[in-house]
Amino acid sequence: MLNYIWISLVALGILAALGGDLRDELTDPYRNGLSLDATLESSESSIPLRSAQNGFLVLSSAQYAAFYGLPSPGTAIRQPVNIQRSASGATTLLLLIDESSPLRWREMARASAEKGRLAGTLSSAPVQTEGSSAPVRVSFEPVHFVRLKAVTAAAVDYASTAVSISLGLIGVMALWLGVMSVAEAAGILGIITRVLRPLTRLLFPEIPADHPAVGAMIMNIGANMLGLSNAATPLGIKAMEELNKLNPRLGTATNAMVTFLAINTGGLILIPATAIAVRAAAGSANPGIIIGTSIAGAGCATVAGVLASKLLQRLRPYRMPSEDRHG
Amino acid sequence: MAELFRALLNVIAVVAIPLVLVIFLGWGIVRRVKVYEVFVEGAKEGFATAIRIIPYLVAMLVAIGIFRASGALDLLTSLVSPVTSALGMPPETLPMALMRPLSGSGSLGIMTELMKVHGPDSLIGVMASTMYGSSETTFYVLAVYFGAVGIKNTRHALPVGIIADIAGMLAAVWIVNFLFR
Repeated sequence: MLNYIWISLVALGILAALGGDLRDELTDPYRNGLSLDATLESSESSIPLRSAQNGFLVLSSAQYAAFYGLPSPGTAIRQPVNIQRSASGATTLLLLIDESSPLRWREMARASAEKGRLAGTLSSAPVQTEGSSAPVRVSFEPVHFVRLKAVTAAAVDYASTAVSISLGLIGVMALWLGVMSVAEAAGILGIITRVLRPLTRLLFPEIPADHPAVGAMIMNIGANMLGLSNAATPLGIKAMEELNKLNPRLGTATNAMVTFLAINTGGLILIPATAIAVRAAAGSANPGIIIGTSIAGAGCATVAGVLASKLLQRLRPYRMPSEDRHG
Repeated sequence: MAELFRALLNVIAVVAIPLVLVIFLGWGIVRRVKVYEVFVEGAKEGFATAIRIIPYLVAMLVAIGIFRASGALDLLTSLVSPVTSALGMPPETLPMALMRPLSGSGSLGIMTELMKVHGPDSLIGVMASTMYGSSETTFYVLAVYFGAVGIKNTRHALPVGIIADIAGMLAAVWIVNFLFR
């Protein structure tokens, strides 16, 4: 199953990117090779003067909308640019794209040779006019295969993200594995396990009642419910390692592991702190209003997950390979 | 009442880890455990475990990264939206429901964007944040936890995770529609 989902994500992503890029080649949303009428303003002195200076590319929202065939952004565009004149007299504009730049330019900058920069050339050198602004015609660097380039970049970026996430785990992993060793040696895990035995025997009938895996799983679920994700992940991994000691077929998931992960992916949490923080930042009158609804939602997810794990483990395609011999 | 519950839980979340450390290590001393030696012996495993996760997480995150960057989510959204709209899910929140099991940062971005556009207290804003709180990043959890013990044959784990996610999203839609519509 994981094999198919995994290859589907990759294949669907690449096909969607290819399809989108081919559509762009036909409809040309970036107006490759065409010239846009705008006004160039210099922040320093009259135009053109020095070999390199800063300024603004100014155009009305109607000009922008008509050129790209987009709905009008509402306000006039005043885009910071870096103006460069070569010895041969050609003038290049380097648009410094940021969050406030128009949407289409941000998309184009993402695919441009230099990230966050969009280069344009002036079709004609601006004539000297009164003051520090001049009408210009700009054609931007051609943009092709935006999505395929983004897919390539994402593959590389996410590979290194995965490594930095894993390396970032080393410290907390070591801390919690150390604490759990002490807890085990001191008999604390045994106490926790005994208290919750009726519940855990129901959920994990295969696990011996006083096995350290139970204590680690309970600590992990507790940390998750309190939103202590820094502690929850190492405790969950510790629980998986303990469960794996009972695994007759290394490399294959056991029933108890899947039930444990069902509880984990249900994501039951008493205070959904991230969602509340985002709501508060967005100016909500009552950011905490989602506590009850989230607990209800996550509770349903957890119950459904546990029930599904209990049902699916009996189905033939998902059976433990060693169980098949018994029929 | 709800305020008191929240305040209480906030206090617990702050003191939980210091308290656990003190009780566990203190109990160890009482039981004459050589706490320092035992701690170090256990902590030694941290490095190897974290390193073991790397190939699993790389495989998972690269696939998710490709999917996210390609714009395939829009495609999937238009494919699934007739069904989910019939179930009462506003089409704007569908990308949120689809992204939630795949990527924590991705769904956080979608939630923030929805609140910016529709307002945090609108039906869409409340539903998006409930969806965010109603599930975990299933694919990440599977990659990390199975990676740590070298499980390659995950059996029914992924279908179970997806069933849990669907149940969480549908429950979020239903309860938000019931309480806030």
